[in-house]
Amino acid sequence: MKVDKELIKKVAENARLNLTESEIKNILPELKEILNNFEIIKKAPTKNIEPSFQPIEIKNVTREDKTSKCLSQKEVLKNTKHKSNGYFKGPKAI
Amino acid sequence: MILQHYLKEVKKGDVSIKKTVKAILREAKTLNKKHHCFNIISEDLALSQAEKQEKEPKGRLAGLPISIKDCICVKDVESRAGSEILKDYVPPFNATVVKKLVDEGAIIIGKTSQDEFGFGSFSTNTDNIPKNPLDTERSCGGSSGGSACFTQLTKHPHASISESTGGSIANPASFCGISGLTPTYGLVSRYGLIDYANSLDKIGIMSKTTEELSPIFDVIKGHDKKDSTSLDISSNSNNEVKKIAIIKEAFEIDPKIKDIILSNLEDYDVISLPLTKKYAIPTYYLIAMAEASTNLAKYCGLRYGSTLPLKGSFNQFFSEVRSKYFTKEAKRRIILGTFARMAGFRDAYYLKAMKTRTLIINEYKKAFKKYDVLISPTMPILSPKFSEIKKLSPLENYQMDTLTTGPNIAGLPHLSVPTNSIGKLPVGTLLISNHLEEDKLLNFGRKIEEK
Amino acid sequence: MKIGIEIHVQLNTKSKVFCSCTTQSSEEPNTNVCEICGGFPGSKPVLNKETLQQGIKVALALNSKIASETFFSRKSYFYPDMTKNFQITQYETPFSINGKLDNIRIKRIHLEEDPGALIHKGSTCLIDYNRAGIPLIEIVTEPDFKSPNEVRLFLRKLITILEYLEVYTRKSEATMKADANISTTGEKVEIKNITGLKEIERALNYEATKQKETPAKKQETLGWNSDKGITYLMRTKETEDDYGYIYDPDLVKIEIPKELVSKLKSQIPELSLDKSSRFKKQYKLNKEDAEVLASEQKLAEIFEKVAEKIDPDLAAKWLIRDLLKIINYNKTTINEIKLEVKHLIELLGLFQQGKITDKTVKDLLIELIKEPFSPKEYIKKHNLEIISDSGNLEKLCKEAIKEQPKAVKDYKEGNEKSIYFLTGQVMRKSKGTANPKEVEKILKKLIR
Repeated sequence: MKVDKELIKKVAENARLNLTESEIKNILPELKEILNNFEIIKKAPTKNIEPSFQPIEIKNVTREDKTSKCLSQKEVLKNTKHKSNGYFKGPKAI
Repeated sequence: MILQHYLKEVKKGDVSIKKTVKAILREAKTLNKKHHCFNIISEDLALSQAEKQEKEPKGRLAGLPISIKDCICVKDVESRAGSEILKDYVPPFNATVVKKLVDEGAIIIGKTSQDEFGFGSFSTNTDNIPKNPLDTERSCGGSSGGSACFTQLTKHPHASISESTGGSIANPASFCGISGLTPTYGLVSRYGLIDYANSLDKIGIMSKTTEELSPIFDVIKGHDKKDSTSLDISSNSNNEVKKIAIIKEAFEIDPKIKDIILSNLEDYDVISLPLTKKYAIPTYYLIAMAEASTNLAKYCGLRYGSTLPLKGSFNQFFSEVRSKYFTKEAKRRIILGTFARMAGFRDAYYLKAMKTRTLIINEYKKAFKKYDVLISPTMPILSPKFSEIKKLSPLENYQMDTLTTGPNIAGLPHLSVPTNSIGKLPVGTLLISNHLEEDKLLNFGRKIEEK
Repeated sequence: MKIGIEIHVQLNTKSKVFCSCTTQSSEEPNTNVCEICGGFPGSKPVLNKETLQQGIKVALALNSKIASETFFSRKSYFYPDMTKNFQITQYETPFSINGKLDNIRIKRIHLEEDPGALIHKGSTCLIDYNRAGIPLIEIVTEPDFKSPNEVRLFLRKLITILEYLEVYTRKSEATMKADANISTTGEKVEIKNITGLKEIERALNYEATKQKETPAKKQETLGWNSDKGITYLMRTKETEDDYGYIYDPDLVKIEIPKELVSKLKSQIPELSLDKSSRFKKQYKLNKEDAEVLASEQKLAEIFEKVAEKIDPDLAAKWLIRDLLKIINYNKTTINEIKLEVKHLIELLGLFQQGKITDKTVKDLLIELIKEPFSPKEYIKKHNLEIISDSGNLEKLCKEAIKEQPKAVKDYKEGNEKSIYFLTGQVMRKSKGTANPKEVEKILKKLIR
């Protein structure tokens, strides 16, 4: 796959961003420049090298199955304008 | 030493907390007009905390004014990580660091300005751009620009809690001429930190001098059950620095900066970190952007932050809100990040970067078998003018992080120490140690400062 | 025809999978929500240990391989029921792969979080995030089913297993969700998000019939409209390629030590399949009875205790024929009834000894599921024992003859049926404790 207008459009749609034609025109050479520069990583000698999920290996962190207090409905809904009878109100979803 | 001195005076009852807090709030308001270092000054909260502490000073940081980078949640105080999309967002909970600080008697005076979600090296990717304390035509660095700016300017006892993903503490500390500590990944809880890139984000501290970092560091470090990546081990208390080395590749820069830094050092070896030099920037940006693009998905005008009237299908609504309120840089990173983890590219970019991260960690680990501290300049340049920043392409912007991304990718503690100036513009020395060896950095940093 | 399914089952934990909000349902929307399951900026997930342990038990019961380590991923897609617009799930590293139930191969089982619930309202929707973050396991089969009926049998069996493992309650049946893919001679079609066991069966039957008549010409993603009972074409933006999985950097690698797996294995009770074949052998029951008794753990437990004291054949008959019927009639479940096993043994013991009638057993069972009491004492108190003493019976018969001269006359005139009427009278006088055959004999003797 080539990094072109069509690819940018597809990625933007996937990320829920509307880009105007002029935005796409601007962003395309920028992305090409960045990705060209990043190409070097493909040559890195990573055969038999494990990925690092975090910089320090941290493992086996879990919690016991215990409940504690949740937020109040008021706190949950405090930061939104879109609400109705204790529900969040959202856009058409079908 | 102002900070420790103040804490002692508070203990003895020789100083009024209320007076100090009122004075620093007044100062913050005045400075903010010219320097834009705060997104919000939490006057009411600070005064009520001061009132409480004045009556009965309690805790290791009783009465100490602290500013907090905007991306760290303070309950009931707008916390928007420098973004427009989170405008008016008031978290229903405190970040663990904030809780720890308040429990030890600290006073929260406000939220400092920054690049949106930490996306930048000059704090210019936001609506409230901090201006350099020494020259308002120039940048404070980023992304924790506001924190560094106010830390340099204030005349009062104060420290700032900031955050680094790829260099966001060291960089502004260097440009503003203060001391900035980025601890080992996982040593300070990230709970309540508005995520940029979770496997890289680290909360740290800024203060005028290295000495002043210690009491704050002692309070904020330590295990937190609410953060799965929080380390359940304490940092190493051995602070003896026997052997140091300068990083060869990091000194291939402006000779004036190089000379200032080297003139403060004696008895050093030269070490080469070729893999870090080659791969740090792409590794950092690919991981950071892939993670960031998922973190930013939640901002869609539904549950919090900026929104629009409900109209059209959910896809149209989400797209409109996001397109309207994210900055250009945020959009660029979302697109790059989404691309890097897309099927067909994921192996070559995202997964590859997770592996090159291992290469870089291994390279550092090898160096720390021999050396206690590795040294480089913090930034390859002096603080640039805003007019110069405008001319940089996105890639040139990203390349400004060339010296700081290495230790950040490897989660290594690092400290930027103010080291003389060129004209009025400060230079910072970057000290890097092995995981959990912050005490070596603090010890060695003090020595450099004394020179 | 080839069918493969992906089943989402809610686990039975107290708290959610990545936060400590309760999993209990709530009348009020958005009351079981915290900053973590609500997706507030800065909050971080921590894995509930119990979810993984329950998941491993299910995987072991489905003969699956348990991974030595597992990790979580972010699956990105935008939808209003998602609090973060990514779901924490497992991608490259599920905790279990390669299982088998009967002849159906199980590809993988992984752990993930449930999204919230939507109510569609014209041009908007209402969202309740109480469900967001409830632990789910997703069981993915290979396309090994040859008919919807095979899927139905598989799901029934699966539910029995889940119940035995106590990771599942009947209420989860309505929340069980599935995606299914079907192909006949044409392309593969996928039906997404069918909710409820019955609906899964309906949707598959509908689509299977449709596919037999006109096989799909291209790959399609369908939805299921349960009101109309039809599938419809879904316009989805995301396909598997667009989810852009990354490892969730807020969570860490979880190792699953061999010792934990063997410990969990030892906690798995004998599952229904093994149990029914053992019942068949040990108690010499027929296949159907053994299967019914083994289908629910509590029922099997009651049966085995009773069978220690009572003839197993008799015990099986009473449990299947009567107790289950009474339970169904009273709209309750075997787990909710108040019946104590010792009382059941007492009751059936009396019956076995011929001391009480069929009817008395039935009447008392109806009462015993509501509250516990000793059948022995109750029978004594209410004189419900079979009257076998013929003197006493004769007395009652004489009374009946005296009271019903017309019936006696009819009988004498050759109306055989009148004797049954008289017998009934005597039975009523004895409160059902008399042996009707005995009564008939005495009556005939007395009238002659």
